[in-house]
Amino acid sequence: MPKVTYIEHDGRRFEVDLPEGWSLMQGALLNGVTGIEGECGGSCGCATCHLYVDEAFVDRLPEIAEAEDEMLDCTVAQREANSRLGCQIKMTPDLDGLVVRLPEEQS
Amino acid sequence: MFRFDPYSPANDADPFDAYKTLRDEYPAFWCEEAGMWVYSRYDDIIAALNDWQTYSSAKGNLVDELPNRAGATLGTTDPPRHDRLRALIQKAMTKRALDVIVEPTRGMCKKHLDALDGRKSFDFVAEYSSKVTVDLLFDLFAMPESGRQTVRDNAVLMVQTDPVTRQKGPEHIGAYEWMAKYANELIAERKKAPGEDLLSNFITAEIDGESLADREIQMTVTTLIMAGVESLSGFLSMMAYNLAEQHDARRALVADPSLIPDAIEESLRFNTSAQRFRRCLTRDVENHGQIMKEGDFIMLVYGSGNRDERRFANPDVFDIARKPRGHLGFGGGVHACLGGALARVATKIAFEEFLGRYPEFERVGETTKWVPSSNFRSPMKLDLAAA
Ligand code: HEM
Repeated sequence: MPKVTYIEHDGRRFEVDLPEGWSLMQGALLNGVTGIEGECGGSCGCATCHLYVDEAFVDRLPEIAEAEDEMLDCTVAQREANSRLGCQIKMTPDLDGLVVRLPEEQS
Repeated sequence: MFRFDPYSPANDADPFDAYKTLRDEYPAFWCEEAGMWVYSRYDDIIAALNDWQTYSSAKGNLVDELPNRAGATLGTTDPPRHDRLRALIQKAMTKRALDVIVEPTRGMCKKHLDALDGRKSFDFVAEYSSKVTVDLLFDLFAMPESGRQTVRDNAVLMVQTDPVTRQKGPEHIGAYEWMAKYANELIAERKKAPGEDLLSNFITAEIDGESLADREIQMTVTTLIMAGVESLSGFLSMMAYNLAEQHDARRALVADPSLIPDAIEESLRFNTSAQRFRRCLTRDVENHGQIMKEGDFIMLVYGSGNRDERRFANPDVFDIARKPRGHLGFGGGVHACLGGALARVATKIAFEEFLGRYPEFERVGETTKWVPSSNFRSPMKLDLAAA
């Protein structure tokens, strides 16, 4: 199973095996990572699964669709060039080793 | 032989033992009564929700679909059309956009509690949950003053199924047709004189310069009214049912109302009112040794995934300290409930006010009559007595 590492704002690291097709938001919720809320359940409707993707992986991710782009403008923490919504990124073998950092606040 | 009958009154009353057998022994089960496969484990349901390309909603998402709805609403279309339709409404339904309803909702709750006038016993469904819900939805959609009770009665009827014939009966279809006609009249008015409300925005919206199809508008408005009215009042009633049983939890909320959101999440996990929805396979799939064919329907039992011991420890215990992240009470993935934020705010306010007036209460009578439905689970009537 591909691995993803979540780094919480306070520095805690979580290394998680995530089944293919599951989203980074789900991986966080189900493995005790607290820096992601996922309030809307994964429908790209709330901007509470905001995360910063490690630069090395940014170009490997699917492009930001219009709905995600609009929601990224609503994040509580500052939107950066590497900002994404965790619910819009599904795990693939190509993303094995992915590292993401979580903002201080989601809502 | 094990059977799972989502139409039986016994299942309406308590589906949880059957769910456990399904999870443990038949994780991909062919349900003859419904004529479809059943997924009951958390991980299988999540995998299906993540893969809308395979598990399509375009042939309908209700276990017993209503005529003409498939392909024309948020819940019954696939991306990309689904995402475009949803984007038209989504922004009005976020937590922040809903700040404006907080104070009006509180006023509605107080009004209906005042009407109870300190009475010692009452039907929570008829006298509180459905009243507050209908007021709130009428306000949000700026619907005309008259006919509130009729709208509510029809919304509740159209989601039901007949336990004997195991399908929708003429009275259910009749209620649906009534609602579709009501929606059409509303749409005609709004087209003539659009307002600032959510429905007006949707009705007058365009996608790539093209206005929406009439059937899309009519079915979406019909569904918004149905989903709003039935789901919210059903869930409020489930929450009251739980708090009537769980005295310790209720007392904890009375002592510290800031715990109410935790109790809401645990209720959505423990016994959400939206128990079962369906998808249709767009290709053959093999899972748990079963070969399921393209065109077969799969029932996703959210109420069972929420009790899956593989995911939630001691799943049959109602524990407000659990914080059940990732529960399926609102479904998940692209079709996760559009009204989640609305339902959360409304439920929070409804119980802040209710518990303020009625800190101690219990259920009257031994048996509860449940809404007969292959999809939903909530009490028809919930008689409570204040201590
Ligand atoms: C606590 C109350 C509620 C519960 C438990 C609930 C539950 C659900 C569930 C489980 C789904 C997913 C259906 C599927 O997987 O096919 C859903 C979808 C939906 N709900 Fe709710 N709901 C509630 C309240 C509301 C309210 C108040 C509204 C509207 C005002 C609403 C509107 C919708 C809509 C439009 C969809 C379809 C979304 C889509 O497919 O993109 N719901 N709901």
